[in-house]
Amino acid sequence: MDRAETGVDARTRRGTGGMPLAMLLLPALAVTVLLFGGGLALGVLQALGYLPGAGLTRLTGAHFIRVLSDPDFFLSFGITLYVSVVSTLLAAGISVIAALVLDRLAGQYRPVHFIFQLPLTVPHLVIAVAVMFLLAPAGLLARIAVAVGLIQTPAEFPLLVNDRWSVGIILTYVWKEIPFITLMLLAVLRNTGRDLIDVGRTLKASAWQRFRHITLPTLFPALGAASLIVFAYTFGAFEVPYLLGRTHPMTLPVRAYKDYSDIDLMARPEGIATGLLIALVVAAAVVIAQALTRAARRRGIVI
Amino acid sequence: MGSLVLKDLAIHYDRQVVVEDFNLAIGEGEMAALLGPSGAGKTTILKAVAGLLAPTRGDILIDGRAVNTLPPEKRDVVMVFQKPLLFPFMNVAQNIAFGLKMRGDGSERRRTAVSRILELTRLEGLGGRKVHALSGGQQQRVALARALVLEPAVLLMDEPLSNLDANLRQEMRELILSIQSELKITTLFVTHDQSEALMMAQRLALLLGGRLRQAGTPQDLFHRPADPEVARFFGGGNFFKGRLQGGVFECALGRLPVSAASGNGHVRTATIRPEDIQLTLDAAGRPGGLAGRVVRTRFEGTATRAWIECDVHEVMVLTAAGELTLGQEVRLHFPPEKIRVFPEDKASE
Amino acid sequence: MKRSGRFSAAATILAAVGLPFATLGLWSLADRWFFPGLLPQSWGLRAWSYILTSAGGQVVNALWQSVAVAAVTAAAAVLVALPAARALGLYEFRGKDPLSVLLTLPIIVPPLSVAMGLHLWFIRMGLAETFIGVVAVHLTFCLPYAVFVLWGVFANYNPDFESQARSLGASRPAVWLRVMLPMIMPGIVVAGLFAFLLSWSQYLSTLIIGGGRLITLPVLLFALMGSGDRPVAAAVSLVFVMPAFVALLFSARHLGGRSLAGVR
Repeated sequence: MDRAETGVDARTRRGTGGMPLAMLLLPALAVTVLLFGGGLALGVLQALGYLPGAGLTRLTGAHFIRVLSDPDFFLSFGITLYVSVVSTLLAAGISVIAALVLDRLAGQYRPVHFIFQLPLTVPHLVIAVAVMFLLAPAGLLARIAVAVGLIQTPAEFPLLVNDRWSVGIILTYVWKEIPFITLMLLAVLRNTGRDLIDVGRTLKASAWQRFRHITLPTLFPALGAASLIVFAYTFGAFEVPYLLGRTHPMTLPVRAYKDYSDIDLMARPEGIATGLLIALVVAAAVVIAQALTRAARRRGIVI
Repeated sequence: MGSLVLKDLAIHYDRQVVVEDFNLAIGEGEMAALLGPSGAGKTTILKAVAGLLAPTRGDILIDGRAVNTLPPEKRDVVMVFQKPLLFPFMNVAQNIAFGLKMRGDGSERRRTAVSRILELTRLEGLGGRKVHALSGGQQQRVALARALVLEPAVLLMDEPLSNLDANLRQEMRELILSIQSELKITTLFVTHDQSEALMMAQRLALLLGGRLRQAGTPQDLFHRPADPEVARFFGGGNFFKGRLQGGVFECALGRLPVSAASGNGHVRTATIRPEDIQLTLDAAGRPGGLAGRVVRTRFEGTATRAWIECDVHEVMVLTAAGELTLGQEVRLHFPPEKIRVFPEDKASE
Repeated sequence: MKRSGRFSAAATILAAVGLPFATLGLWSLADRWFFPGLLPQSWGLRAWSYILTSAGGQVVNALWQSVAVAAVTAAAAVLVALPAARALGLYEFRGKDPLSVLLTLPIIVPPLSVAMGLHLWFIRMGLAETFIGVVAVHLTFCLPYAVFVLWGVFANYNPDFESQARSLGASRPAVWLRVMLPMIMPGIVVAGLFAFLLSWSQYLSTLIIGGGRLITLPVLLFALMGSGDRPVAAAVSLVFVMPAFVALLFSARHLGGRSLAGVR
């Protein structure tokens, strides 16, 4: 209460500690506009065929058309969407449960809370390598299957890496993203969740009703935001599908980099165009998610 | 509507005694206050009654039925917390209807009940508002409405006014009192503010250090405190040790006639509230009393607090008599019926 | 929750988190491990001695390269984010919403989309294949996280402390150094840690801008995965997660339990 009030006080005050606001914002704004905005803008120019070094100065939509008219592109789009949607949904679902369990564990098993955070700091690449060694046909899991007598040869082990259903990729993402989402949810549960649950109990809500009508709506904004970040990451990430995915159809980021680094320099604009399309899909997902949330809010389904 | 009885309640927390030997009975439709300084264990008792924490020993009886083992959602008790704790993802009407919905009431019934309670809590027309668009006072009223709409047997309120500023507090206090007298819901509320407790409660329990020090009507606690600590909590001063002898209390100040009869010959502590001492300015004007000299004064608006040195003792007086100057000679009169001789004085025996 | 339930929840978490590391650990210590042996047929430190001594110190060099890039990126990110976060956390101003969207947008846009566009420009400016170039592209993606963390810090920061210090006679620089800095230090550490870890795990943007000349650990690890030497790849992977452990231990010791929430 006190804190909120002082915050309001501070906000209504106009003094900025001696520096104009613009000066405070300038460095970050410059980095973002120049490097991030500039990168995207230059990408657009190059994807439109503007390569003054190679004597190409006329803008053309041909590269985008070539990318979009390749039926393989849509296969790639499909597999990328499939991987990121499934990974996000699985991670989000498990995270809700994990957050509730960890909230219950509260002060107990402190090392468990510590270990649970470990995946946060581990690079995706390392986990992809570990999953490879774990799930490959001659991996640890296959060896365990032999040891317990389930199979005799590596060939009998189901394909879990570089496979049709992208099991390895999804597993890597789920392992890595659960702590990320869970910790966001836990912060919400600890800040307001417990008090509101107590209110719900005295207002006669049963355990299920408390979960459905209090916990879920309380978690929803954090869950939505975290899931969106996970979706955006998994849709645009290169390392994991490159190591654990199939060579055909490859995911969009892998495809973009393949084209970009092609010996044929003329493939480069297509790679960049693909990269921009990835960014476009992610941006569209964010916009759609926000529109859906707003519509749901209007109908009173969620917050 | 129901009665609430707390019997030999003890609540320990991490092996620490928070509440011990607590007994309290609140009658049907009564408004009772649990008064005490912060950290005395008031909220703990409230939470135990609500079912949010389990007492270590003792019984909680609602309408004569022990509810100890019932979870909060099965008890006919609703608690209003110190903070409004409105569900941020619901509007005002949805917040108020929450308990009804959980209970399974139909939407038509919910709508009637909500509109009635909105009117009662003077929130008409705000049903569709987002909760963060409300003022602090409105939020607190929504929290109250959300509890009242369930018409519980017992309503619990944890410092319901402490988050409001002074004039809003006054308004809210009147609102709570008028609603309570209309709905006659048995109510137990917690406060650290003695004047709030005295003004609002029909029955008052003073909690000091996890133990019940005295329960009774506000007048009981104010005028007939059970021990010096209770008296001190209600702003009492002037404690004298002495011996009771045939209707006269013999102490360092002299021989004071008292109306207390029993306890002849024993060492007792007596007290008199500062405002009960009569102070006269003119030494010759009224005979008798105790002569003294003003050593310190503090102007408090409607009255002046003065410290009078009588012999070597200082007596605190609250008086409306004009302006006092330091060193002025005054006389103090102690009406016998206002001197309270504590029945027992454990410390000195 | 019941005791058995708590125990099985804890055990599940331990097993799920531990399994990948156990796998990598086993493989890094295997001298010979043919299918279908459940454990290596012969154990040894070949992989470890290889990465630590031979190969021209390739791994050690990559390790230092990674540390340098991540440390410089993190420092730059905090430095640039600090004033912006102060403005966003303490003041209301026109255009704040679109500005905050712009500043946090790089969180969701994949690095590869931007790195590809920047590459040509960086070649022109002589930044391609340089340390500065790689730091610049990492900074693009680490900055929003630093802004985000410090924004939260300043939203809960009461500037009245600064007024109080000034009224007690402190100069403006003294107020920054002796009042603001100590109060937001935990936030600065978390923001730095976020940026460090994010830069540490960057692969594709390093490869594109670094052009294979700047060998950080992930770039090296990718090359090793191609060579098929599993024990060495496993050992390098374990080296690669080392700062993660250090960061986590540090945060647990000095920052309290959940300060790493939000790291990716």
